[in-house]
Amino acid sequence: MLHSKALTSISRLIIGAGIGALLLAALPTRSAAQTADGSTPPERTTAISGYMDFHFNKQELSDGRLDFHRFVLLVSHRFSDRIRFVSELEVEHALVESLEESGELELEQAYVDFLFSRRFNIRAGMMLMPVGIINERHEPPIYYGVERPFVDTFIIPTTWFDVGVGVHGELGRGWRYRAYISSPLDALEFSAQEGLANGRQKGSDTNIGRPATTGRVEYVGVRGLTVAASFWTGRSGFRFRPRFEVPVKLGEADVRYSRDRLELRAQYAQVAISNADELNDALGRAVGINPNVASALRGFYAEAGYRVVSGRSFGDVGVFARYENFDTQFRMPAGHLPLKEFDRDAGVFGFTYWPDPDVAVKFDYSAIRNQSRVNRALNSFNIGLGWWF
Amino acid sequence: MVVLMTRTSTVLFTIAALTGVVAGTTGASLSARLQQKAQVVDIVVERFSFTPSEFHVPAGMPVEIRLRSDDTDHGFRIVGTNVNVTIPKRGKGIATVIFQPPAAGKYVFECSKLCGAGHEFMRGQIIAE
Repeated sequence: MLHSKALTSISRLIIGAGIGALLLAALPTRSAAQTADGSTPPERTTAISGYMDFHFNKQELSDGRLDFHRFVLLVSHRFSDRIRFVSELEVEHALVESLEESGELELEQAYVDFLFSRRFNIRAGMMLMPVGIINERHEPPIYYGVERPFVDTFIIPTTWFDVGVGVHGELGRGWRYRAYISSPLDALEFSAQEGLANGRQKGSDTNIGRPATTGRVEYVGVRGLTVAASFWTGRSGFRFRPRFEVPVKLGEADVRYSRDRLELRAQYAQVAISNADELNDALGRAVGINPNVASALRGFYAEAGYRVVSGRSFGDVGVFARYENFDTQFRMPAGHLPLKEFDRDAGVFGFTYWPDPDVAVKFDYSAIRNQSRVNRALNSFNIGLGWWF
Repeated sequence: MVVLMTRTSTVLFTIAALTGVVAGTTGASLSARLQQKAQVVDIVVERFSFTPSEFHVPAGMPVEIRLRSDDTDHGFRIVGTNVNVTIPKRGKGIATVIFQPPAAGKYVFECSKLCGAGHEFMRGQIIAE
């Protein structure tokens, strides 16, 4: 984990580099290609794309539920070859009502990229945190399973987005990076079951007193292979009075390999929450019950998928199996016992039918276990229809 | 000179002349000539990368770039040129571009079709030397 002073230096470096580079943004492109005779002027174009996710979920002991889970529109605009805008607006669960929990309208991305070179570019606005496989790569046809992996829900709080500024680029030989500063998580919303998920400020009038830092390094130099590591670190106690620090650090590593019909994925993520004992005391005073927030959360999974039918006129069919282990009570602060029902593992298996590469019909069964002798985890059968356009 | 082909059923399209180096040559004879001499580069495209994303070619010589998608349809645009083609979806064929860099230098290419949350990361470069 990076030391906080080093992170502060990184933040200053990013800001300093950003200001200088933004001044350069107005300069014309100077590459040989763009000044050669016959070159075309930069095109101003606007594009619309999107994806949708329509689910049937049947959990043990419950009636089935039909949910239009996600309706997402992406709008992008190219001001010039140097300056681009991308946005992603999402309606979750179809209906949004004020002060109700029926759905969410979220601005998941809305940033401007200032492109300077292959190695160095600046991004500012609402950005996806570059953590894990799914957070930046979550279009329904490109992952197996109706729902996103549990690790990418309970340990890495996808979809994880917030406002900030950062740099990204490709260093050559397949190495890519991104490094952002953004609004931190809000520890007042952490919980035993959901971990960090409810602590996302989501870019809404956020506290930025002590910016969080996040980054990712990826190697994509071998066909079909992506190996990556990422981190997020920030101080999340800003809403407590008197204020105290709740440093949060997340480290993650993932690998993905796909070749022809085969696709393999694995991911490991761990979260450390410092001062969790003080956090639990403060939350207990605020809400009247002990929230039992852990000092560490951990999750990992491995998945294999194979297209048993590929290249046929009627489409492709792929089968998959995934094992996940995720524990939002992995380590507890002194004086707190873990709630074993949140130490979970899951076997998820099923198949996907792609009548078109951008349309996926998914079936899966999730067998979930936990370590509790009182509260049993419930299995579920799921059907999904997802598409991209 | 740029020749673009979408090889869904070996259909050949000569689309544009970029530099005028071989001005006056017909599209068909030019493509035949370029195909004889061109260095071939195969690129696999997926959300959100080109592999390889960087390659070297001799300046002034044609290079045949074959692009195949592993998922949705993408775009392939060489910034500052007229090259901008659609790469068909997985299993729907490949796109072929014959590009002759007019001079030594770096030619940035990118995905020109909005393809997902990480679309803007899809960039690469051709180094002509």
